[in-house]
Amino acid sequence: MIQFNIAASSGIPIYKQVVEQIERMILNGYLVCGEFLPSVRQVANDINVNPMTISKAYGLLEERGYLSRQRGKGMMVAQQEEQTSKKEKMAMLEKMIGELISDAAQMGINQQELLALIKTTVESDSSQMIDAVEQGVK
Amino acid sequence: MTTSIKISKLTKSFKNETVLNELDWTIRQGDIIGLLGKNGAGKSTLINAILNIDAADSGCVAIFDEDNKSLSSETKARIGFVPQQNDEIPWLTIKELIAFKKQFYPEWNDEKVTELISRWEINTKKKMSELSVGQGQRVLIILALASNPDLMIFDEPAAALDPAGRRDFLREIVNLAVEENKTIIFSTHITSDLERVANKVAILHHGKICHFDELDNVKENVVRVAVHSESVKDIVVPNALNTQKSNNQLSSVVTRLDKGWQQEMQAQGHQVEVNPMGLEDIFLEITA
Repeated sequence: MIQFNIAASSGIPIYKQVVEQIERMILNGYLVCGEFLPSVRQVANDINVNPMTISKAYGLLEERGYLSRQRGKGMMVAQQEEQTSKKEKMAMLEKMIGELISDAAQMGINQQELLALIKTTVESDSSQMIDAVEQGVK
Repeated sequence: MTTSIKISKLTKSFKNETVLNELDWTIRQGDIIGLLGKNGAGKSTLINAILNIDAADSGCVAIFDEDNKSLSSETKARIGFVPQQNDEIPWLTIKELIAFKKQFYPEWNDEKVTELISRWEINTKKKMSELSVGQGQRVLIILALASNPDLMIFDEPAAALDPAGRRDFLREIVNLAVEENKTIIFSTHITSDLERVANKVAILHHGKICHFDELDNVKENVVRVAVHSESVKDIVVPNALNTQKSNNQLSSVVTRLDKGWQQEMQAQGHQVEVNPMGLEDIFLEITA
């Protein structure tokens, strides 16, 4: 069961929110190649939106190569080519970082502070991983 | 695409006040339209004029290619309407009212009636006059949905419904939308009601439909632009609805972002920030 998180009153059109959430689920491996998505009607009913919105989102994902339409069976997650997939993952991360930067700017955190924060977070994350590995060895 | 409603030069005045002013509007079959307008903008006046309940002073309206003043009974049976005021026969029980209505509509759906009556817990032994406003409105919605119309018009459908009732009503609209080619118009001043279900938004303002577009386009096009610069005095923003300037900052709402202008600004070293807007803000800006 796919859980969408739709903010109907946001300035981002609902179809775009659906596209982005499915893209993320495919890129982070939550949805895998060969898996079928729920029907347009199902999703429209689940999240209480116009079915045209969902078909528009599915159509766009098909165009971008994330989904492939299987006659009579619905939409299936398509095989992702490793190279394009890497490129898209980077693009997705770039977008998320962009959001992070503008959030930080709104909080009055400058870019140096943000970069420093990212660096310490990455370092503590990897030291924790090393700790975990050492714990495992013991 | 076929046309469900074509309105030309519709004008209507009350005493000295012109409510509809040579209004033109064409609605295609399959559109699900949220009709937005401030209180008193004339949403009900427009709906009543479309259905010839309260005729316009001039102009014309065609519904399914027939003049609205001389609709055939076949065409009338294809139209469902839920008014703001409940003026159904007060002395019939709901059961009798349903039986009475049913005889006028060849496509009557008994199953839908039974399902909604039980889901919305309506006592069919009661008379219309004995129901609460919300329950009465639910009955009207059931009557309208039961005739399986090709065109449905709701005047402020959510006004008397509680949140659960609104959810249910929206779900019914969504279900209708899944059926092919139904045209639905609902007037509201609550933007969140239409954001989930409408594919198009029409804004009634100063007697005209001043904005009619797909909801997605509206959200993508109408955005807030901020420019940060040493001096913003001489900057002119294209397609701006309004612009506020302070010493080194400019904020403006545009009906369409001019990408060329944005690039030029950035090339000149100005910092341009573009932010999407929710429908409520868009509505307030357009009708400001």
